[in-house]
Amino acid sequence: MQMMRVSRRVLLGSLCVIFLLAGGGKASNRSEKLKPEEQKVVDYLVNDWGKDYSVTSVDIAMDALKVKQSDEARFRIGSYIKAHPELHEVIRRWGWVTLVLTPDEKLIARALINRERDGKPSPGIAEIADSVSIKEDQVRRGLAMLERYEILKKDKSAGGAGYKVVPRYIKWEPRLDFLFHKVTLASGRQFNTN
Amino acid sequence: MLLVSSKFADEKVMIDDSSPESTARIHVVFDKGELVSAEPPSTVVFAGGG
Repeated sequence: MQMMRVSRRVLLGSLCVIFLLAGGGKASNRSEKLKPEEQKVVDYLVNDWGKDYSVTSVDIAMDALKVKQSDEARFRIGSYIKAHPELHEVIRRWGWVTLVLTPDEKLIARALINRERDGKPSPGIAEIADSVSIKEDQVRRGLAMLERYEILKKDKSAGGAGYKVVPRYIKWEPRLDFLFHKVTLASGRQFNTN
Repeated sequence: MLLVSSKFADEKVMIDDSSPESTARIHVVFDKGELVSAEPPSTVVFAGGG
């Protein structure tokens, strides 16, 4: 009997330690993923979303906070938002894609998606650059970002730029996906609306 | 458009958008609720409602 009591205490103690470790791990994961200035961007967005119908994107928040823009930083912040829909109703309602991609990346995605939907040959880098009004290097960076977010996948058989659209994005509402409406006020405030 | 005619009706508002039918960019400027310019010129702006 005494033995059972001791075992039960040891078991309860072990469970408490496990729960504490699990809780601690979650908190440290959260801070490990984002640098302090990246966390500020997320905090800015969580505070901004919903005001004036705002669905502001990561790039605009980084500009507002004067955080140096880089694809890597945007991807880290975007991945965090993608992984944490509990942060705000706007993520759950409008989807992480709306919030993490830049206008250029959205237009590049649409250039490929519309072609694939219409059963036409996939556009090449130069053609995408021309249709989106950006440089070819920017198209390559945009394609790489869309691949990292698993919206596109490399496929040599695709022709053109060498990417195919992941099927679930082909099935999105045609002509209503990958949209942006960026508002700039005379005060300098920028935000996206839905 | 709702914001342009209500909360920001006394301000200059610029909107960067895109054609849902293509990848063409659209830039529209409103001042005090009135449309000032739209690029490209073929942009169709629907105002009002019912």
